Amino acid sequence: MSVTDTAAPASTLRARLSRHVSFLAYDNFRFLKIAVAAVVVAIVLYIVVTPYGERYGGGWAGYTLGTVGALLIVWLTWFGYRKRAYDPERKYATPHDAAGAADAHPPEDPSRLARRLSAHVYLGLALLIIATLHTGFHFGWNIHTLAYALMCIVIFSGIYGVFAYVRYPRLMTENRENLTTAQMQAQITAIDAELRRRVLPLDDQMTRIIRDSIDNTPIGGSMWRQVSGRYPDCGTARAIAALHTRPDGDQENWRMFRAKLDEKDALVSRLRRDVRFKALMDVWLYLHVPLTFALLAALTAHIISVFYL
Amino acid sequence: MEVEVTFLSRRGTAVMRRAQRASGERVRIGRGTDNEVRLSDIHVGLHAAALAVRDGVLFVDRLDNSPLEVNDVAVETAQLKIGDHIVLGPYRIEILQAPEGCDGAIQIELVQPAGAADETGPRIGLQRTGVSKRVYAWSGFLAIAVLFLAVPIFFLSTGMIKSWHQNTTTEALPKLVGLSWNAGTFSNAHRFFAADCATCHQGAFTQIADKVCLACHQTIGNHVMHNVKLGAVGNELASLNCVDCHTEHRGIEGSVIREGHLCLGCHQNLNERAPDTGVHDIGGWPNGHPQFRVTLVADAAKGTTTRATLGTTPPPMDHPGLKFSHAAHLVKGGFPVLHYKEMTCGDCHVPDQTGTSFLPITYKDRCEGCHELTFDKVALPWPNATVPHGSDTGIIAAVWNYYAGLALQGGAAASPNLPAAPAERRGAGMAAPAAPMPPPGDTQAWVTAKSLAALQVVFDDKRGCAYCHYSTSADGTWDTDKILAGALPPKANPIPVVTPPMLRTRFLPQAYFDHSSHRAVGCENCHASRTSQTSSEVLIPGIDTCTKCHGGENASLQAQSTCISCHYFHRSEFGLMRVSAETAQ
Repeated sequence: MSVTDTAAPASTLRARLSRHVSFLAYDNFRFLKIAVAAVVVAIVLYIVVTPYGERYGGGWAGYTLGTVGALLIVWLTWFGYRKRAYDPERKYATPHDAAGAADAHPPEDPSRLARRLSAHVYLGLALLIIATLHTGFHFGWNIHTLAYALMCIVIFSGIYGVFAYVRYPRLMTENRENLTTAQMQAQITAIDAELRRRVLPLDDQMTRIIRDSIDNTPIGGSMWRQVSGRYPDCGTARAIAALHTRPDGDQENWRMFRAKLDEKDALVSRLRRDVRFKALMDVWLYLHVPLTFALLAALTAHIISVFYL
Repeated sequence: MEVEVTFLSRRGTAVMRRAQRASGERVRIGRGTDNEVRLSDIHVGLHAAALAVRDGVLFVDRLDNSPLEVNDVAVETAQLKIGDHIVLGPYRIEILQAPEGCDGAIQIELVQPAGAADETGPRIGLQRTGVSKRVYAWSGFLAIAVLFLAVPIFFLSTGMIKSWHQNTTTEALPKLVGLSWNAGTFSNAHRFFAADCATCHQGAFTQIADKVCLACHQTIGNHVMHNVKLGAVGNELASLNCVDCHTEHRGIEGSVIREGHLCLGCHQNLNERAPDTGVHDIGGWPNGHPQFRVTLVADAAKGTTTRATLGTTPPPMDHPGLKFSHAAHLVKGGFPVLHYKEMTCGDCHVPDQTGTSFLPITYKDRCEGCHELTFDKVALPWPNATVPHGSDTGIIAAVWNYYAGLALQGGAAASPNLPAAPAERRGAGMAAPAAPMPPPGDTQAWVTAKSLAALQVVFDDKRGCAYCHYSTSADGTWDTDKILAGALPPKANPIPVVTPPMLRTRFLPQAYFDHSSHRAVGCENCHASRTSQTSSEVLIPGIDTCTKCHGGENASLQAQSTCISCHYFHRSEFGLMRVSAETAQ
């Protein structure tokens, strides 16, 4: 994902659009630098300040790491909420724009999204190290380690999300070749209509083969189907296989159907790839978001249990 | 036969009907152009079914492999009546009242147009998979909040998680739930009640109170003597709780925090802040620890001790009241003339039951084997004559009684000129003193003479008692004539002549040293006993000997050592530890 960077003076729209950089590099890696600094401070704190006994997450250094970690979790979660509220249609209003400032809904600055996302990613990565130091590397079958494990899954799913945001949009663009999903679907529907029309007067055997392709060519479906991109029960594949060998008679129709089915197969594969790429871009959120909520509950239980007892 | 066929189509609320007549031997329905009724859909067979009139009754027959359903039942052939319906692919065919001149009437409606399945669209996009992030998020949140927050608090606050002191044990479920809050590995000693959280955790959001610990550890010793003025340090000590030094859930090793800083907080300048304690300032270990101070005997006769620092010049002297040379005992090759083997440390220093220290050295157990107190070789009904050890006031009587007994057995007559046998092995170059022999017949004079001769050796200034012991005289020397003047015949309650020695079993009473854990090191690596000529020499090693092996608490190439490696915090000799507020009193 790339966003428009307006951290630099956004004198004109063109100037803004020309400075199109990845959120990872937002403001010359400002949040990477902040995150690295935070991690270095945390590591120094961990090494230099030794509590009585071994490091266990307590002592002033341990509680500092824990507090920073907990605040980061809450803040990073808040980002998710804010991002949901982000409306890309809403126009950016400069501070000088009195009309925008007076708007009942505060205008959403696209650069704020980039800033938030950049901060979210880098500080989320910093959180992994800060919280790990807070554990003192003690793990067990308890709520404390559960909270840590949930946090790790959330962060690692987020890391995958960054990877996906960098990788799949490009693959999707390459795969689509300027077609939209709706256009691909329409083309498949058109081929289906033609197949239907052409097979109508033919014998039942050919009709069954073509009907299988028309009726049983799934695209999308369950989460696993979309993510894996595997459709073992594909009528079009079966139809192509059935028409693999040249028949003794009616070569013309055979050739025509072969060509049509191959055309459909290419479209279906492309659409399925498109669906898969989109699913791979989205699937991590099904871990990231629900487990964040579970993490918030576990974090609360962790903090309360530590001070309750 | 002739059948009226009505095609029905709907567009919104509008219904359109198009009627035609089909006639033939039978009326075939199918996708093929040669059918009487043609249904243009690939889901309909080329020749799917046929209507026929048999015996004036309308029938439908299945022609090819396409499924034929009459009134939702798959059939091969079926008799039709008005109101029945047939399903052929996407078409629904209803049987109507036949108009005049027709054998039957059907109404055909395309109920599932081609591509209708696509109207709902393919399930593209994860948001259409029926998996809801929101549902999972809130159910996960609630599950964890209930299971790991609400339920533990409920079990704790309702007393379902019990204390070990109660007679009943915690049930399995509360136990499991309680353990989900466990902050770390339990110490081994506390594990047997670890699941009974309420044993220690007796209130919400409170620190573990001292009384919780003292409920079991009621005999634990205090840290300071009650009568020592501590001032501000005492207040600091009073503000400490058990949990400031002892933490649970920190591993199987135990709950004692071993950091030296805990001790140094007070002890690094205790001499200035609380001089009454007499404790030297400590800066740490090994650096900052003062040289060891040993408790030595100042005067064995008076039973007084003194504290002295090791490693000073001149070195500190012990005065145990015993003439003893380690070097003279640890002679290589032993004592072949006397048929004594070479001695080792363990011949005299026998570990006690714990191996920590050694059994006290006594004459009977450790000296007598070589150093017998024989003063005459003549056997009475008992073997060689020996003086009693440890009872010097009985020595004169014992010698007298021995010769009196010998006289009664005819010893005086049998050996009128018997010279007194030397009581002890004679020192090199020493001649036996010539004892004037009484005339025969005077038994008392004989006994006196014999006793005197023997006692002159016993109380000689080099042999006899003096070989190891000091006399009770001011300078400890032996004035034999003075001791024996008027000593015979023996009197009741004579003045003691031997100063009893005072051998310390612990020289470093403020520290704790376990010899058993150092056994492999070997005695002489720490104790320079082979060259020690007198008992005044202190063979307790100084701090340098320890620091060769024992480093600081974070040492990596030396044994990690901290204050409590050698020193006890809880000293039972100072009375009982009380709750923190009372500690300093």
